[in-house]
Amino acid sequence: MAEFDRRDFLKLVGAGAGAAAATGCSDIPQKLIPYVVQPEEITPGLPVVYASTCQECQGGCGLHVTTREGRPIKLEGNPENPINQGALCARGQASLYRTYHPDRIQGPLRRGSNGELEPISWDDAIALLAEKVGTRGSQTHLLSGPLGPTLKGVVDDFVSASGAGTTRYEPFTQHALIDASRAVFGVEAAPRFDLTDADYILDFGSDFLEVGSSPVEHTRQFADSRDILRHPNGGATFVYVGPRMSMTASNADQWLAAKPGTEGLLALAIGRVALEKSGARGGGQAELKALLADFSAEKVAQQTGVTAQAIEQLGDDLAHSQRAVALPPGIGSSTRSAVATNAAVLILNSVLGAIGETVVYQSDRVGDGAAQSFDAVAKLSNSLQAGDVDVLLILGSNPVYSLPASLGFEEAMQKAFVVSFASEHDETSHSQHVDLILPDHAGMERWGDEAAVPGIHGVIQPTIRPLYNTRAAGDTLLDTARALKSDAVGPEDFQQRVRAQFGGSESDWREVLARGGVYEQVAAIPVQLSAQGIAGLDFAPPELSGDGAYVLLPNVSPLMYDGSGASIPVLQELPDPVTSIMWQSWVEISREMADSLELVVGDVVSIATPSGTIEVPAYPRGGIRSDVVAVATGQGHTVGLYASRDGKARGVNVMDALPAATDEAGGRAWLTTRAAIQKTGRSERMAQAQGSDNKRGRQLAETVSLSALAAAAHDSHDTQADGHGGGHGGASGSHEIRKAYDATDDSTEDSAYRWGMTIDLDRCSGCAACVAACYYENNIPTVGEEGAQRSRQMSWLRIERYVGDGTKEMLAGRHPGAKNTSHAYTDHEELGEVDIRHSPMLCQQCGAAPCEPVCPVYATYHTPEGLNAMIYNRCIGTRYCSNNCPYKVRRFNWFDYQIESWPEPTRLMLNPDVTVRGQGVMEKCTFCVQRIQSARQVAKDEGRPIADDEVQTACQQTCASQAIQFGNLKDDESKAVQEASKNPVRAYHALHVLNTRPAITYLAKVTRNETDSGAKPGGHH
Amino acid sequence: MTPPPDTAATMMRPAPALRDSQANIDLLRVMDGISLKYLMLLATTVGFMLLAGGTWVYQVYKGLGIAGYAHPVFWGAYIVTFVFWVGIAHAGTLISAILYLFRAKWRNAINRSAEAMTVFAVLTAAQFLGIHVGRLWKSYFILPYPNQRGLWVNFKSPLLWDTFAIGTYATISIVFFAIGLIPDIAIARDRATGWRKVVYTVLACGWQGSSKQWKAHSRTTLHLSGLATPLVLSVHSVVSWDFAMSIVPGWHATIFGPYFVAGAIFSGFAMVLTVMIPVRRIYGLEAYITDYHLENMSRFLLLTSIIVGYAYLSEYFISWYSAVEFEQTHFWMRAFGPYWFSTWCMLGFNGILPQLLWFKQLRTNIWFLFILSIFINIGMWFERYVIIIEGLSFEHDPAAWGLYTPSWAEMAIVAGSFGFFGTLFLIFLKLFPVVAIAEVKELEIHQRSHEGGTH
Repeated sequence: MAEFDRRDFLKLVGAGAGAAAATGCSDIPQKLIPYVVQPEEITPGLPVVYASTCQECQGGCGLHVTTREGRPIKLEGNPENPINQGALCARGQASLYRTYHPDRIQGPLRRGSNGELEPISWDDAIALLAEKVGTRGSQTHLLSGPLGPTLKGVVDDFVSASGAGTTRYEPFTQHALIDASRAVFGVEAAPRFDLTDADYILDFGSDFLEVGSSPVEHTRQFADSRDILRHPNGGATFVYVGPRMSMTASNADQWLAAKPGTEGLLALAIGRVALEKSGARGGGQAELKALLADFSAEKVAQQTGVTAQAIEQLGDDLAHSQRAVALPPGIGSSTRSAVATNAAVLILNSVLGAIGETVVYQSDRVGDGAAQSFDAVAKLSNSLQAGDVDVLLILGSNPVYSLPASLGFEEAMQKAFVVSFASEHDETSHSQHVDLILPDHAGMERWGDEAAVPGIHGVIQPTIRPLYNTRAAGDTLLDTARALKSDAVGPEDFQQRVRAQFGGSESDWREVLARGGVYEQVAAIPVQLSAQGIAGLDFAPPELSGDGAYVLLPNVSPLMYDGSGASIPVLQELPDPVTSIMWQSWVEISREMADSLELVVGDVVSIATPSGTIEVPAYPRGGIRSDVVAVATGQGHTVGLYASRDGKARGVNVMDALPAATDEAGGRAWLTTRAAIQKTGRSERMAQAQGSDNKRGRQLAETVSLSALAAAAHDSHDTQADGHGGGHGGASGSHEIRKAYDATDDSTEDSAYRWGMTIDLDRCSGCAACVAACYYENNIPTVGEEGAQRSRQMSWLRIERYVGDGTKEMLAGRHPGAKNTSHAYTDHEELGEVDIRHSPMLCQQCGAAPCEPVCPVYATYHTPEGLNAMIYNRCIGTRYCSNNCPYKVRRFNWFDYQIESWPEPTRLMLNPDVTVRGQGVMEKCTFCVQRIQSARQVAKDEGRPIADDEVQTACQQTCASQAIQFGNLKDDESKAVQEASKNPVRAYHALHVLNTRPAITYLAKVTRNETDSGAKPGGHH
Repeated sequence: MTPPPDTAATMMRPAPALRDSQANIDLLRVMDGISLKYLMLLATTVGFMLLAGGTWVYQVYKGLGIAGYAHPVFWGAYIVTFVFWVGIAHAGTLISAILYLFRAKWRNAINRSAEAMTVFAVLTAAQFLGIHVGRLWKSYFILPYPNQRGLWVNFKSPLLWDTFAIGTYATISIVFFAIGLIPDIAIARDRATGWRKVVYTVLACGWQGSSKQWKAHSRTTLHLSGLATPLVLSVHSVVSWDFAMSIVPGWHATIFGPYFVAGAIFSGFAMVLTVMIPVRRIYGLEAYITDYHLENMSRFLLLTSIIVGYAYLSEYFISWYSAVEFEQTHFWMRAFGPYWFSTWCMLGFNGILPQLLWFKQLRTNIWFLFILSIFINIGMWFERYVIIIEGLSFEHDPAAWGLYTPSWAEMAIVAGSFGFFGTLFLIFLKLFPVVAIAEVKELEIHQRSHEGGTH
C-alpha cells in the first residue's frame, strides 16, 4: 500500500460513496468502487438539486431537494413557488426524515394464521387483495387522506373496477370555513387570505403564523406588511382574539382574551360598529344592518368578556383602515357552532370590504381530492361497526390515533379485512386488526402531484431510489384494479400517470420538473352575500358538554400538528414556541388556577371530561384565561421509535378527552367540552429549553417604541444621542445609537472578509424553522427526552422568548429555581397583554471571543475571516469555552450521539460537508462554514471575490420573514451591513456591555402598541 | 486567653521527657502489625476506590453524560472535588515550608502526616482533571510536547496554568516528602527485615546520620522550603484563576487569589485535624501530637476562617457596590436561590462555626475540634460547589439559566476519591513513620540542653 496516498484514498472514498448510493441503497457497500460509467448528472462531491412539493400539509409549498451522491440530504423552499418563495417551515424541513425513518415498513406483510405479521411477496399480496376485494358481495371501502390529482384518478379507476366506497379524511380541515362560505356567499370553497400590504389584521385564533392555512406565505406577508422602513408608522396593526396567547398572538399588538368560542359574536359586534362608522364597503348595507342589529357592543361584551369600549375601539379602527383582513378561528377553537363563527368573520370581512381584496375566492368548489368533512368518516366508522364493510383500505392517514376514542374505530376494524398502505409504523398499521400491509414509498421516494391550492399544480418527484421493498400505493391500487378486471385501467403505471397529468411536450415536462410544477395566477371570482344562507345560521355562545369548571382548549401544536410530526425526532426536540417544552405533553393553566390548586410546573393534573380522562403535567402561565386549560395536539402516540416512549404513550393525546362532536354542517368540532381538573400529587421533570423568561433589562431581545424611532429619525444627525430609553424602559426620549459590528475592530484586517449577520427581531415570529434547518444542514443530533430534561439538546440555534423587558426584582419571572424553593411561581405574561420578544440566539462569532483564550489546546480559535472555529479533533472536552461564553451557545457531546442519534438508515441523510462530532467534544454554530467554502471554490475558480448573497446560511435560507441577513461585513454594500446601517436606532449587539464585539447585529423589535402616554400598556416599569 | 509560648522549650512543655529509644519504639510501632480493624478500614477505602474506578471506566466508555451536567452548568462535582482536594493539599506544604522558615517548632509533630496528605491530596486532585475531560484519551494534548503537526498549547488559558501549577506542586511536595523521610527511613531500615529492608535501604539513600549528611539534609530542606513557600500561595491562586480569569458573574473577581489560598489552608488544616485526631488516639501518640499542637492548629483555623469569612462578605459588598446587575443577581441567587442550602452550609460552617475557637476550652476540646474539622471539610466542599455550580447556573443570558444536580456517577466518583485518599494514607501509616522521628528527637535535644542550661 506504499503508493496509496491520501489523495487516492479521498478519491476512492468520494467515488465509492457515490457508487454505493447510485447502485441502490438497500445494500451496505462492502467495497469502494469508482463509477465505471458516471451518471450524467452526478459529480461526486457536488450537490444535485431537484424541485418537488412538500407533503406535510395542504399548504402547497414547493421544495428544493438537495441530494448528494443520490441521497437527499436537505430540503429548502423552492424560490419559484409563489406560495413559499424559497422559505420552509420547521415541519417542512423535518419531513426529509420520513424517507430514512427507522420506523419504516420494509416490505409487504400479511397477518399469518398465528396472528403475527409475516412477509409476503408483492405478487401474492396483490393477488390476496384482489381476491378479498373481488369476492362476490364483498363491500370494499378506501379511507384515505386528501389526494393529489393523479392519485385521485387512480382511486377513481380503482373504485370503478372494484365498486369500492371512498372517504377522504384528515384530522384538521377547513370545513367550517368552507361551509360558512357556502352559507354566506354560496361558494363551496375556502378563501385564500392575502395579507400583502394589509394595514389591519384581526385574527380570531387562526394562528396564521404557525398552523393556519398557509403559515409560510402568511409569515412573509405579515412581516412585509409591518416592514418598518416601508411603513414608518409601523405598518399593519395586528389584533389577536383568543383565550390563549399562542405564538401568533405573541406577535400581536393587542390581545383580546375573549371567552372561548365567542369569536363569532365578537366579530359581529365589531362589524356592527364598523358598519355604523363607514358603511358596508363590500355592499349589502341594508341586509348587513339588519343582520347585525342584534349584536350591540354592550350585549356582546357580556357574552365575550371583551369590554364594550374595546369593541367600539376595534370597530372604529377597522372602519378607518384601508386594507383590513379578519381571519377566522383555527382548528382548536372550532366549536359546535363553528360554521356560524366562521360565517360571522366572513360577514365582518364583507363589512370591511375585504372580500376580493384580502379575502379572495379563487374557485367556487373545493378540489376533487380534498378531505371530506368529519361526518363522512363517522359514517364509515358506523358502517364498519355494523359489519357493512368487508375490506377496508387505509391510505395516508392514521385514524386509530386521530379519531375520537368514542367512535370505536379500532374495534370496528376487527370486523373487516383491513389493508394498510402505511410507509412507517403508526397506531393504525400497528393495530392487531390490520391484516395486510402494503407499504407505500416514503417522502423522497415518491412520484405524485399536489393541487390543493388554486393555480398551483406542484409535482412531487423522487430523489432517491426506494430504500426498501416498497411500492407506490398508486401502482398497488392500479395492479389490484387490473387483477380485478383486466380492462379496468390503462397500461400506464403511476409515474406515467403523473407525467400525463401535466401533459405537454417532453421539454414542457422537463420544465415542470425543473420548476417544481405549474404556477398560474388565478383571478378572484366575485361573490355576493347570500341573505338566505345567513338566515340559516344561529349565532350563539358555544354549547359545551360536561360540567367541569374549565373549558378544554385543544390547541394545535405547530410542531406535532395533527400528530404526524411526533414521529420525527427533530420536531420532538424543537422547543414548543410558547412553553419551550420538548418531547412531552403539558397542560397550560392560568396562574389563578395554579395558585388555588397549589401547582407548579411539572405537577401532574388529571383532566376529566365526559369523554375521558387524561393525566398531564401542568404548565402555569399568565397568558391564558383563568377559565381555560389548553393541551397541545399531536402527542400521546403509542407506536414509534420517537413518537412513543418504548411503546407506551409519550405524553397525552388530547383527542382522548374529546367527544366525537360535530359542528352544524358535520365538520369536526374541537372546542366542545368542559373539564374538571384535579391534582394527582405526582410530578414530572419537564424538558424545558428556556430557563428564565425575565430578561432583567439586560441587552437581549430589545425593543424600540415607534415614538422613539420617530424621535430618532427627527434628530438623525445627532448620532451620539445619549440616554438608554426607547423600548427598554428608560425615561429619556432619545434612543441610544449603536453601530453595526465594526469590521475594522477585529483581528481580521488582512482578510477581505469578515462574516457577520444582521437579525431583525421585528420580523422574527418565533416559528423556529431556522432551528430545524440548522439541525439538518449541520448534522445536529437529537438527545431524547432524558437529555432534554437536562437541557442537553444540541441545537446550535435557539429561539429565546422573553416576556417584556423584565424586572430586576428577584422573585419575578420564571426561573429554574422556582420549583425547588418556596417561591411562588410566576411569569411575566399578563392576560390581555403582549410584549413577547423572540430572539434567535446563536454563536455571535465575537471579535473578542471569551471562549477563545480559555481553551488550553486551541481547539477553538479565530479564523482570519473572523469566525470562531471549532477544531473537533483538537478538543479534549474541558468545556471551559462554554462556561466563558456569555451567550451560552456551545453544546457538548455528552454521549456518542453520532452513533446513538442516527440509527440505520438515517445516517444516509447526513450532510457529507459537515463533520459528525464524536463523544466528548464541544460544538457550536459555524455560520455554515461549509457553505462559505463551497461559494469560495466557485469564486476562486472564476477569479473573483465571493459575492453578496452567494452564501446563505441554512437559517437565513429557510426564514419566511427574511429576518436573517448574512454577509461580508467588510463589504459596505452587503445586505447584512445595509440592513444594520439603514436601521441605526434599532441596531444593537447582544450583551453589548461585555465588549465581546459580536459579528451579529440585532435590530430591536418595534413596539407598536404604545398608548398615548407613551408607555406600553401594562408595562413593567 | 494565654499568649502563645515563644521558645522551643516552652512549646514542648506539655510533652513529657522521653528517651531516644522510646521515641523510636513509640513511633515505629505504628508501622507494625496489621489489625483486623485496620484491614476492615482498608477494605472500605479500597472498596470505594474500586467503585469509583469502575464508574470512571464506564464513564469513559459511555460518555460524560452519565454525570449530572445540565446546560449551562458544564462543570460539576468533579471540578468541585478537584478544587477541594487541591485545597486540602495546602496544609502540608504550609506546615513543612512556611512554618519551617518561621521556625514554628510545633509543626514537627504534624509535618510528616501533613506532607503525606499533601502528596495524596494532590494525586487525588490530579485524577479529577482526567475524570472531568470529555476525551480522556486525548488529554495529553494539554501538555506542550513537540509534535510533527506543529501544534502547541494555549498559554493564555488558565487551565494550562493550572496543569503546570498542579504538576509543579505535585513534584515539589513529593520531593519534599521523600527528602524529609530519609533520616526516619534510615531508622526504620535499621530495624526492618525482609522486603521492607530492601525498600527502606533504597529510599534511605545510604543515610548514616553523619554530621555531613545532616548538614546537607538541613540545607536541602531549607532550600526546598524556600522553593515551596511561593508555591503554597501560587497553586491555589492559579486554581482560583480558572474562575477569576473568566467572565462568569461570581467568578470574575480580583479577590479570588487570596480568598482561595486562605480557604485552601483552612480546609487543609481541617483535614489534618480530621485525620490526625483518630490516628493519635488509635496509636497512642498523645505524647508526640499533643493537645497543644492541636490548639495551635485550631488557631490557624480561626485565622483562616476569619479571612475566608471576610472574603464572603467582601464579595457581597462588592456586588452591591459595583451596581453590576449580573453580579447582584448572582449573589442574590446564591443566598436565596435554589442553591441556598449549599450557600448557608458554606457561610455557617466556614465563617460562623469556627468563631467558637475564640474560646480556649473549645480549642482544647479534642472532640469538638474533630467534629468542627468535619464540618469545615463539608463547608469547604460546599464553598466550591456554590462558586462553581451557582456561578454557571445564572449567567448573562437568563433564557439559558439551568440547574444542576449531581448524578449517581459523580457521587460514586467523589466518594471514591475519599477512598483513594484514605487508602494511600492507610498504606502510608504502615510504611513510613507517621511523625518525623528525627525532628522530634532534635527538639528533645534542644529542650534538654535548655533545661540543663537553666537549672
